[in-house]
Amino acid sequence: MSAADLHPPARGGFRLSDRGEQFLLGLLGTVLFLVAWEVAARSGLLNPVVVSNPSRIVAAFLGQWQSGDMLGDVRVSLIEFGVGFGLSLLVGIALGIAMGLSRLTEYAVDPFVWFLYASPLIAFYPLIIVWLGFGFTTVVAVTFLLSVVSIVVNTMAGVHSVDAQLVRAVRAFGGRRIDVIFKVVLPAAVPLILAGVRIGLGRALHGVVLGEMFSSNAGLGYRISFYAAHLRTADVFVPLVILVVVGILLNQVCRMAEARLQAWRS
Amino acid sequence: MVAETSSAGAERGVSLQTLLAHPQARLLVGLAAVLLFLIAWQIVGAGEIVRSDLISYPTEIIRTFFSMAASGELTTNAAVSLQEFVQGFVPAVLVGVAIGTGFALSRRLRAMFEPLVIALNTSPIIAFVPIVVVWFGVGLQSKSVMVFLASVIPVIINTTTGIGEVNEAWIRACRAFGARRRQVVMKAILPGALPSLMAGIRLSVGRAVVALIAAEMYVSVRGIGRLIQVYSTSDRAAEIFVLVAIVSSFGFLLVTLLRRVEDWLAPWKRDS
Amino acid sequence: MGALLLDRLSLTYEQRSSGSSFLALSEVNLAVRDGEFVTIVGPSGCGKSTLLMLIAALLQPSKGSVRLNGTEVTGPGSDRALVFQDFALLPWRTVLANVELGLELKGIRAAERREIARRHIAMVGLRAFERHYPHQLSGGMRQRVGIARALSVGPEVLLMDEPFGALDAQIRQVMGSELLRIWERDRKTILFVTHDIDEAIYLADRIIVMSASPGRIIEDIPVTLARPRPLEIRNSPEFSVYRQRIWDLLEEQVRASGSWEQEGAKH
Repeated sequence: MSAADLHPPARGGFRLSDRGEQFLLGLLGTVLFLVAWEVAARSGLLNPVVVSNPSRIVAAFLGQWQSGDMLGDVRVSLIEFGVGFGLSLLVGIALGIAMGLSRLTEYAVDPFVWFLYASPLIAFYPLIIVWLGFGFTTVVAVTFLLSVVSIVVNTMAGVHSVDAQLVRAVRAFGGRRIDVIFKVVLPAAVPLILAGVRIGLGRALHGVVLGEMFSSNAGLGYRISFYAAHLRTADVFVPLVILVVVGILLNQVCRMAEARLQAWRS
Repeated sequence: MVAETSSAGAERGVSLQTLLAHPQARLLVGLAAVLLFLIAWQIVGAGEIVRSDLISYPTEIIRTFFSMAASGELTTNAAVSLQEFVQGFVPAVLVGVAIGTGFALSRRLRAMFEPLVIALNTSPIIAFVPIVVVWFGVGLQSKSVMVFLASVIPVIINTTTGIGEVNEAWIRACRAFGARRRQVVMKAILPGALPSLMAGIRLSVGRAVVALIAAEMYVSVRGIGRLIQVYSTSDRAAEIFVLVAIVSSFGFLLVTLLRRVEDWLAPWKRDS
Repeated sequence: MGALLLDRLSLTYEQRSSGSSFLALSEVNLAVRDGEFVTIVGPSGCGKSTLLMLIAALLQPSKGSVRLNGTEVTGPGSDRALVFQDFALLPWRTVLANVELGLELKGIRAAERREIARRHIAMVGLRAFERHYPHQLSGGMRQRVGIARALSVGPEVLLMDEPFGALDAQIRQVMGSELLRIWERDRKTILFVTHDIDEAIYLADRIIVMSASPGRIIEDIPVTLARPRPLEIRNSPEFSVYRQRIWDLLEEQVRASGSWEQEGAKH
């Protein structure tokens, strides 16, 4: 046995050389899992009312789709996500650049950023309810807070990673400060910013779910707790699966974008 | 760095950049900023410029901490939360390492479960709280399960990565001296994978804490999360801040402890 | 046109954190005529790159001045263009976009920019690679892009800071002859810093030899080898005479400064 058997995964998680085989095996694994679940529920091994099973979940999915509930929930969550994450992008990148360019700003703001980064922001969540009440604003605020930190930190790191020689080159050709920022610093920082965006997207999704679950009466997060409270277990899985799929999609899109950018970095 | 270092030329006197280049500058500016913030907070809160039951202020928070500690409220609930955490975290580490090793050894196995792992890794773990509560009840068990779910995935991923990146030379060296498969694993692979593994465990701490508090806030009889929820409905900002501080400190302490453990287990490797 | 005058140019670095100072260049006097190809050699750390940076006005002198065509130089400008040792190309831009950079910063409009850039890309022989990215090119090709970029802003003086330092020996020689070919077209003033003695002789009308730190000019050697110069000229006896002379000067400098015992002391 050698480390060659233990295939070192490429950046971005597990990747095998034979992508076709990997894909099929993954499919097989998922299908087996679902089949096992279905069988266990039907045979009474697991209580189908409590645990639910794939066929019921599909039925629930269709039911919610047709009644229009699902679309409504998705719309609400999407808007909250968009506003919250959009805000954190704007503020995060701007602050990250400011901190990257100005040592004074960095030193002064860093302790607060570090604190937000290291503490479980979920603990602040009730405070936000105290301040902003229930509903849309709170969800957006929580989404913003959860995602902005990783964007700030990564943007600042991106700015710091800029090759000083490139800055010198642009200045040598007559570039002013603003030229340096837009023509060198920002483009050079993009890969790290993207990494921050990827993490931020995941955390923003967390924020939306958290906010809706605890302080809203609309959206996918709310629906999960709503159906759970009514013990409609099959229905619970519908928004849950949607969120999981969205989470995966966002993550994969970001990783693909990062991979494409890697090309010109090396 | 973008700030271009220029020649002295006729520069006289002390400029801002000169000051900031001082080795202690970062610490001092940071401290100053935090201090300013605390003072401002104190003034705004104690002076009721903003309602103090909404935002509280530093001295009130400290006072509240002591009264909460004295009343035993903190210890009882912290003990419950800690128990839930440990009961979920420890199995997660053990199971995670086992599964991660299995994945590292068998490409096929890993490919089969990859979708599930990715799904659990990138989806908001909080979304699972309601269903887990339905399945495991409102007591300690559901919280431990949430902690388990949140922690096991990063451990699996990092174990697999860590093993995969073990330097081939070490494995070759072991085999050259006649080591059998199991010995190679114990003597070359596990120690080599340790840093990555420990990083995975540290990563899990944050996620586990979030999962725990979320689950307790959602529904529970006792626990720090529940306390937070209770106080949030009665506008007691000071108490909430105390609890927030406790939760943050716990996470920070645990991560620091884990770093010490890693240094002790693997003294040959100091993180740069 | 591209006439440079360096008058008592000096530079002292102030160490920010420790407060100590370091004299990098000491009273450099130099007059360069329009169209001269001047190479600058000297031991490591003698300040030859610093000299270029002062002329490019990326650094400000502590004493003395730099004058181009009689006017004092105060800041970077397109009348003096730099070519860097590590190419300094923006990796996210194509070859075309990289060459356009200088023109962009001058505010030249897109259509005109493109035309000028393409002309210079063709001049350095890279027309087929306009849409390529730097990482797809070899070191020699990247430096040609750097040269095209510098030339495209129409400078009066070309400042080249060990431009072939990152290339391997054979490519270096070829690039040298390529550079001369391009230079013959309109004979710009060039200041070329190198630590390679052969390269310095091969390219130059005039060789400036600098002392070890603090840098001063210790010798100013006119080169009378005929142009155009084929690469074989490096093997000629006249060439060897120059080589020996410079080698002796440099050896003396290196031994005197003691820097061969203590690497990195001059940073």
